[in-house]
Amino acid sequence: MNVKKISLKRELPTTTLSGFALSGLLVLTILNILLQNMSTKIQTAGDALLKLNASEGVANAVTTVVVFFRGFDTLGEIAVLFIASLGIGLMLHSNTKCNIKVESNFMLQTASRILFPVILLFGVYVMIYGHLSPGGGFQGGVIIASAVLLLLISNKEFEVPHSVIVALETFAGVSYVLIGLIGLFVLDTFLGNFLPHDISQMGLLLSGGIIPIIYIIVGIKVGSEMSMIVQNLIKRDHDV
Amino acid sequence: MTGLIVLVTFIGLIIVSFATIIQKKLADSIILFMGMGLGSVVLFFIFKAPDVALTEAVISAGISSLIFLMALKHLGEQK
Repeated sequence: MNVKKISLKRELPTTTLSGFALSGLLVLTILNILLQNMSTKIQTAGDALLKLNASEGVANAVTTVVVFFRGFDTLGEIAVLFIASLGIGLMLHSNTKCNIKVESNFMLQTASRILFPVILLFGVYVMIYGHLSPGGGFQGGVIIASAVLLLLISNKEFEVPHSVIVALETFAGVSYVLIGLIGLFVLDTFLGNFLPHDISQMGLLLSGGIIPIIYIIVGIKVGSEMSMIVQNLIKRDHDV
Repeated sequence: MTGLIVLVTFIGLIIVSFATIIQKKLADSIILFMGMGLGSVVLFFIFKAPDVALTEAVISAGISSLIFLMALKHLGEQK
């Protein structure tokens, strides 16, 4: 009788088991944090930043953190998105028209004509009111890009004007760095808030100094980059 | 009530994420991934992070899944 040797690894589904173990650990950790939060309040970096937030006169504290306290990080994030857009453009760019063979139907065409301005308006609203309500440049930019996506799906002839995108992106990137440099010269800190930002103005559209301006710039840049990514993914030649 | 919603969403998220992994067809995985994003939106909103919820709704449930589908379309043709 020859007994076939079965290795332990083959007998036990190790990958699945470790997956279960890892997710169980994660659940236990989150439950532990939730249980701890019920009784005592944990002191975090967020509390310290919230105390500092009042000095900038911006109603939405998240925006202050993203654009002002972590403004340099946001510049880096935009650069990362730009490089991603550049890579997709380099790999997939072609001059051919849309490769979706199926003609978009009548319903989609009509609906896109009605929905496109509404989505665009909502995107611009989220972008401009980023310092007052939830939202901001990133979200608004992506909403605008999704409006462009709707137009690209419904209309075969539509193409994002390349020169406009180049102009917008250059303008946004240069003005972000320029505002930061002006802050550096006026207040000795990169992205210093050199415009008036009084706390009594909190909640108004024109409040917070440079913070809403920077978020609008971020929105323009993200919107144009995401539009180019979407267009390059949709309009690609078959045999490249 | 809020705790119940959180618990149901949490368990649902775990089930949906396992379903996302074990799908045979990649397109089904992407659709379930969209559902996962939707569940996360509910969780983020309940935990008082509307900014993150808006980002998750726009990026995960919207653009990212569509980009995945487009990439899958291109890759499927090459097979």
